[in-house]
Amino acid sequence: MSADQQAPEDFGVTFRSAAGRTVRCRTDQFVLEAGEDAGIPLSYGCREGACGTCKSKLLSGQVRMEHNGGIRQREIDAGYILLCCSIPLSDLLIE
Amino acid sequence: MTEPIDIARLVAGRQPGYSLPAPFYSNADIFRHDLELIFGRHWIYVGAEPEIPDAGDFITVAWGAASVLVARDDDGRIRAFHNVCRHRGARLQQAGRGVLGNIVCPYHQWTYNLNGDLIHCKHMGADFDRSGFGLRPVHVENLAGLLFVCVAAEPAPGFDALRTAMAPYLAPHDIPNAKVAHQSDLIELGNWKLTMENNRECYHCVGSHPELLVSLLEYGFGYAPSPQNTKQIQGFNELLAREHGRWEGYGLPSREIDRLEEVTGFRTVRLPIARSGESQTPDTKVASSRLLGAYTHADLGGLSFWTQPNSWHHVMSDHVVTFSVRPLAPGRTLLRTTWLVHKDAQQGVDYDLEQLTSVWMATNKQDGALIERAQQGIESPAYRPGPYSPFTEGLVEKFCEWYIGRLAAGLERTQ
Repeated sequence: MSADQQAPEDFGVTFRSAAGRTVRCRTDQFVLEAGEDAGIPLSYGCREGACGTCKSKLLSGQVRMEHNGGIRQREIDAGYILLCCSIPLSDLLIE
Repeated sequence: MTEPIDIARLVAGRQPGYSLPAPFYSNADIFRHDLELIFGRHWIYVGAEPEIPDAGDFITVAWGAASVLVARDDDGRIRAFHNVCRHRGARLQQAGRGVLGNIVCPYHQWTYNLNGDLIHCKHMGADFDRSGFGLRPVHVENLAGLLFVCVAAEPAPGFDALRTAMAPYLAPHDIPNAKVAHQSDLIELGNWKLTMENNRECYHCVGSHPELLVSLLEYGFGYAPSPQNTKQIQGFNELLAREHGRWEGYGLPSREIDRLEEVTGFRTVRLPIARSGESQTPDTKVASSRLLGAYTHADLGGLSFWTQPNSWHHVMSDHVVTFSVRPLAPGRTLLRTTWLVHKDAQQGVDYDLEQLTSVWMATNKQDGALIERAQQGIESPAYRPGPYSPFTEGLVEKFCEWYIGRLAAGLERTQ
């Protein structure tokens, strides 16, 4: 990679459900995709933030999430995210 | 019971004033008719509004094989749907309560919004018309914070009349602004009608309910007059008249309404409570110092409210105890009891959970044992229908009359 190319930033995402494996997730992809690319078994449905099948507890870190009604504000307040529509803003620890 | 039975003949031949013949309590075919013609066609009490206080909150309610999802939508309205996916029929929600974003079938992730519209389904092709596959709605009504559903296509008549009569009695207690302090499920080993019949009389109270009797004035539930109790009955009637006058002066309707014979049948009366007159607690004092609604008086007696076919409620100045009955099998019934207090009342500060719940926890347990005993006796070959007391079991007769009448009406429509 040459110095003038701007590489997308990436963060480490650790999945507790996958024996604590950590994968890299770029800031131009969703957490679900990064997990899938690394072969981590994750449930999903619509991939549009509507169904909530990929709802997971975020134990630490920050994401940007644009969902379509698949999660309630109070679930978000309680620390849940939808993996299919969340982009990492920091390293993440997911249950 | 394996032999086929003639339900129409049993219905037509029921002897008024006597308990029902044994097959009504034990036969699988009659049980199926109870689910279809009684629970499938009438207004069924399913729970209190404070069980689903916020958008996305839901409960599921089942009887027999039927299951209904009751949820609060984003506009705060109460919605009810059959708990069955329109794809291949999987049960949408198995939990009894929870929070929904959208309603998602876990099988193939068909996704519905809280209007019941199918908003997402994969692999169905570009020309698939989702609009034909919304969730099947269920009629739902909110009576001053008490939620009723009717799963029939055409709901049973009479809910508006029920609301007109009952809303003024219930509204001052402000149930929508209460919260669930406790909920208890009891499986009773008896037919659901035994649960209801037991609720409709207090003949059994003196022998079985020492905790309840501390606050209960038994003359409020029927009594055979005799020279020995003339004074007590007269005293109770004077107390009733005096208290009704006082409560109505506070704007609390109190007089008895008895429309148990109607399709959407109900009865209500505000009854005095013994001793300090406040609440159905171990010492008859309010369990919650934060009273319901805008009440400033604690001694408002207890508003009792009974509905056909499956509920009763005791509504006091400080708390509400509400009971929903659901048939599970011919000899198995779920009794769900919910205690409500003002939503700002704090446990351990304004109320003590034991003080709040102990009377009805004990009473329910005692009733469950009585119902199991009744079921055992009725299933024995020696059982014959027995006579009701004209003084204390008139409401049991009214329940059975209503049930037999509604079964007869249903059978007529079905044939």
